[in-house]
Amino acid sequence: MLEFLQNSIDTFNNSHPIIQSCIYWTLILIVSIITLIFYLKNLRYKLRIKGRIEATYQKKYESDLIEYLYAGDDININEQQKQIIKYLKKCAENGLKRKIIINTFLRLKDDISGETADAIQNLYYQTGLLDSATTRLKSKKWNTVARAIRELTQFEIKEAHDDIIQLINHPKKEVRNEIQKYLVKLFRFDGLEFLDVLESELSEWDQIQLLEILNKFNNLHIPDIGNWLRSTNQSVVSFALKLAKIYKQFDAKDDIITLFNHPNTEIRVEAINLVTQLGIFEAVEILKKDLFDRNLDEQIAFFKMMEEMSMPDDLAFIEEHVQHENFYIRISVMKIMNLITVDSNNTFTINNADQNYIIDKNLTIAS
Amino acid sequence: MNLIKKIVLAEDNSILSKLLQFKLEKEGYHLLIAANGKEAVTLIENHDPDIILTDIMMPFVSGLEVISHVRNKLEMGTPIVVFSSAGQEEMVLNAFNLGATDFMSKPFSPNELIIRIKRLLQ
Amino acid sequence: MISNFPQLLIDIFDFIFFGFAIAAISSYIILAIISAFETVNYMKKNSFVNYTEILSSSISPSISIIAPAYNESLNIVENVRSLLSNHYVNYDVIIINDGSKDDSLEKLIAAYDLVKVDYLINNQIATKPLRKGVFKSTNPAFEKLIVVDKENGGKADALNFGLNISSNKYVACIDVDCLLLEDALQKMIKPFLESTNEKVIAAGGVIRIANSCKIKDGKLLDINFPKNRILRGQILEYLRAFLLGRMAWSKLNGLLVISGAFGLFDKKIALEVGGYDTKTVGEDMEIIVRMRRYMEEQKVKYRVAYIPDPLCWTEAPDSYKIFISQRNRWTRGTIETLKKHRKIGFNPKYNSLGILSYPYWFFFERLAPIMEIMGLAYFALLIVTNNVIWSYALFFLIIAYLFTVLFSIITIIAEELTYHQYTKKGMGLQLIKTAFTEPILNHPFILYAALKGNFDYYFNKSIKWGEMTRKGMSNN
Repeated sequence: MLEFLQNSIDTFNNSHPIIQSCIYWTLILIVSIITLIFYLKNLRYKLRIKGRIEATYQKKYESDLIEYLYAGDDININEQQKQIIKYLKKCAENGLKRKIIINTFLRLKDDISGETADAIQNLYYQTGLLDSATTRLKSKKWNTVARAIRELTQFEIKEAHDDIIQLINHPKKEVRNEIQKYLVKLFRFDGLEFLDVLESELSEWDQIQLLEILNKFNNLHIPDIGNWLRSTNQSVVSFALKLAKIYKQFDAKDDIITLFNHPNTEIRVEAINLVTQLGIFEAVEILKKDLFDRNLDEQIAFFKMMEEMSMPDDLAFIEEHVQHENFYIRISVMKIMNLITVDSNNTFTINNADQNYIIDKNLTIAS
Repeated sequence: MNLIKKIVLAEDNSILSKLLQFKLEKEGYHLLIAANGKEAVTLIENHDPDIILTDIMMPFVSGLEVISHVRNKLEMGTPIVVFSSAGQEEMVLNAFNLGATDFMSKPFSPNELIIRIKRLLQ
Repeated sequence: MISNFPQLLIDIFDFIFFGFAIAAISSYIILAIISAFETVNYMKKNSFVNYTEILSSSISPSISIIAPAYNESLNIVENVRSLLSNHYVNYDVIIINDGSKDDSLEKLIAAYDLVKVDYLINNQIATKPLRKGVFKSTNPAFEKLIVVDKENGGKADALNFGLNISSNKYVACIDVDCLLLEDALQKMIKPFLESTNEKVIAAGGVIRIANSCKIKDGKLLDINFPKNRILRGQILEYLRAFLLGRMAWSKLNGLLVISGAFGLFDKKIALEVGGYDTKTVGEDMEIIVRMRRYMEEQKVKYRVAYIPDPLCWTEAPDSYKIFISQRNRWTRGTIETLKKHRKIGFNPKYNSLGILSYPYWFFFERLAPIMEIMGLAYFALLIVTNNVIWSYALFFLIIAYLFTVLFSIITIIAEELTYHQYTKKGMGLQLIKTAFTEPILNHPFILYAALKGNFDYYFNKSIKWGEMTRKGMSNN
């Protein structure tokens, strides 16, 4: 055996340098492969165990929670409940366990209302989870901070407001977004005050999330959105238009009409779309005046709007565009004609000469 | 003569299941729990419960399919109460069209659920 | 001097082939490293995202799922059911029955209570005409469904028809037998909605192989590792490409292809560039290149996004014949696309598209099989002329093989650290075994298919798509 080794080393030392480096590389690769295979096996094993551990802890915490909620019928916390609090507090020091505990609390709190929900909230305080969250707000890692804010949002901790507000200009947009959601969830429309001073852009995704949070509340007092409609931040204007649509802010009509001349096309189109939803009749004449100075998207939006808003006097104006080159405008015109010429002998029969297709009177348009 | 009423609960949120089980068993009902629609159907077929509680959004077989199966395939008139999350009005309508008896939207009060169950079992 | 000449030639060729190999290996390593960083970044950003909000929102943008179907009668009803049960709120499903010769349409009409309706279609892109017409359901439960029966025109033509008929802002072009996970649409639409300074024109996702997985009623119940050697190799190959390749290209904004099995597009831009090209077999790659080229020429800041989460499960070829046919088609598609858009190659006017993506695809995707076969031919020549230094050759082969194996193992580790989908006991070992066998068992067929693809492209113009026999997704 030793002889063999000795021979190999001799051959090696006598080889061409290229061969030597080849041998080095081969050995490196083989060793790397073997090491990584062991690492991989270990990794899979650990992941499997982790899965099982998480399942076990989850079951334990679930039963503990139920026990806590129904251990005592008194207002005062009894001995059994104290034990559970102490136990959970200890567990919460471990990151993984804390995640499972919080997850368990939230899963129940989201589905159950009433005293039970309040009790869970109380438990959040007593097990020290709140302190843990506020501490994590000061973390250097942005995703830790964002997660902490999210947790505070889910448990609706108003007390954390001051700590969170300090982070309002955090460099990471994910953190700023979580703060916005916190403010809106806890303070509803008052929480939207940040829109007054917002300089960064609020993406569609962010806007949808904020609107969804607001959607869950009933009987909201809607403030004046005029300021936001006049904002220099385009995304704020866009968001305000959505608010106007959902909450039927007819009072904002003057600002909306002003937006017909906003520099951004999409805002102008959104404003035109709002005319139908809010029934702003005076807008029709205003738009008619300079309709053909506007770009195609706005014209299409105008005609779509006219499908609901046109009056018989508009007939002459509409008729001119029966043969408009744009497909969507032609469709809108036809619909409008059918709507406003019901009585007269001029009832528009759709007999068009377009080579591509014959249209039947009973149309089913793509939904 | 079996005086204990049987309830089949189909709910994939395990802690909610546990809570409802605790509360309902305290009221004297016998609970059979399923974590998804498929298990629920098996339980219903084997135990012929007096009332069925089911969530709408569940993995594999949804609550709607459970209702459809019970009403159309098994042709049972058992009262069915569905749980829905916010924003699922369309699903709730579908549930009623398929034959659901009542619905409770989450978050709901467990006490109110108990009152409704008692009413439906009369 | 005369005796030096062949040696010089040999040295030059050695240099070329060796250099190419080193360049290829370096590029894989660089892409892998970038992918790793990007994936970590993505996981951080998305670990606490709540997708359920956008699913229930009526403000969320509307999406049309366009699924062309040709002779899919075996599974079409089930596939459509699966598509209709997605958790997204604002979407419709447009099935384009592309002149099927079987009873697909009849089955659909029966299963979904369809009736023929009159439809106004904006023919922005010329397509083959309607055959039996447009159908919608009388049952409100299926109001999201639109079925179109048209004359056969191929996948690209069918997709174009879908683009014409859709009235939504975004279109998801998918293979009809692709199993879409319930939250797939929410995850795919996110990049479009969250970008603020760039326009996202398309988004692609990860395709996972569904063979041997337990699928019932359009839902993924159980993930299994297939026994078939070709499938195993493909799973590893897809993992490598998606985990260690595409993520990097996404970061570099250099993605040239979005899988035809599932991609989300901005409909307006897709129409503006003229829709899919019906004359190519690589229409999924070609439209992305064309859309990117258009945006570069418009000088608008844009992005092609990529979602690394597994969202779509589809059937992969399990027999050598079909596998080779598929890779043959992919090769021809790549050649056609690169040729059609050769103007952008190495052209600084097209930024990273011309300077990074096109050259990479040209050298390491299009030319690689040619280089490989030429390398083998050169090796044979050396043997014949007795010029081979066996030890060098042997080491070259060994090191190439070991590197491939190492790369595959790293891929498997990456999969475990990210999505960890192959959880069952024993699968780890099977994956490792595949890492060792794939270069020997699968790679030769890929090489052969690529060469045949080149041959067919230049000399055999009549061949087109090739058949894929459906086995059905509900299997064990």
